[in-house]
Amino acid sequence: MAPDQIQRETMIAAPVERVWTLLTEAEHIGTWFGDAGAEIDLRPGGALVLRWAEHGTVHGEVVAVEPPRRFAYRWAASTAQGDAELVAGNSTLVEFTLAPESDGTRLRVVESGFATLDVPEAERVSKVEGNTEGWAQELGHLRDHAERVTA
Amino acid sequence: MDDAGVFAALADPTRWRVLSLLAERGDGTATTLAGELPVSRVAVIKHLAVLDRAGLVESRRRGREVLYTVRPERLDATARWMAGLASEWDARLAAIKRMAEAE
Repeated sequence: MAPDQIQRETMIAAPVERVWTLLTEAEHIGTWFGDAGAEIDLRPGGALVLRWAEHGTVHGEVVAVEPPRRFAYRWAASTAQGDAELVAGNSTLVEFTLAPESDGTRLRVVESGFATLDVPEAERVSKVEGNTEGWAQELGHLRDHAERVTA
Repeated sequence: MDDAGVFAALADPTRWRVLSLLAERGDGTATTLAGELPVSRVAVIKHLAVLDRAGLVESRRRGREVLYTVRPERLDATARWMAGLASEWDARLAAIKRMAEAE
């Protein structure tokens, strides 16, 4: 796994087609993602707009639409302050994969491209703490190492 | 300080190895690090310079060598930021799961 990415997944007791609909239709995106509506032009190159009542608007661009298995877009969420336009240096790639498994769907999301981001640290550290794996965990291990040996 | 360089600094596999070795050993010089990596001392010096600019290591002179150590606070801040993003994704996936399983 590349170091500069986040990977999360969950098992859902519903068919892939249903999960695909929730993932890709504006009326649903507007509830699990933004809280003030969403717009999506569901084709590669199409525009994605996510709205939050308090955080403003985040812009994205659809990258891949392969129903019902793969959906990807670039967005500026990690760097967004107010209304953010999608430009080089402020966007990451978000990729969803849907895999049928037993009588449900394994939904995986990978967000990557943090190495090319150009954002002040203040925005990063202002985010909430949480449980994670991958890079964050590796950084944690490295930090623990460093703290032990320099203590 | 603008730490745009942190992610770029860490994304290079050799620099990641340099930083990992420093973390494991406690400290190191370009010479000792080059002895454990398949790259030249000159290349290690360049990698250390990038890590230094990103605020990930600090250096002090020891005799004729420069001794490098990791700065944990910068890694800590970056790790917490990544953890925050991951937990946001957990919340979104949980919301999709609730909606999908609601009917």
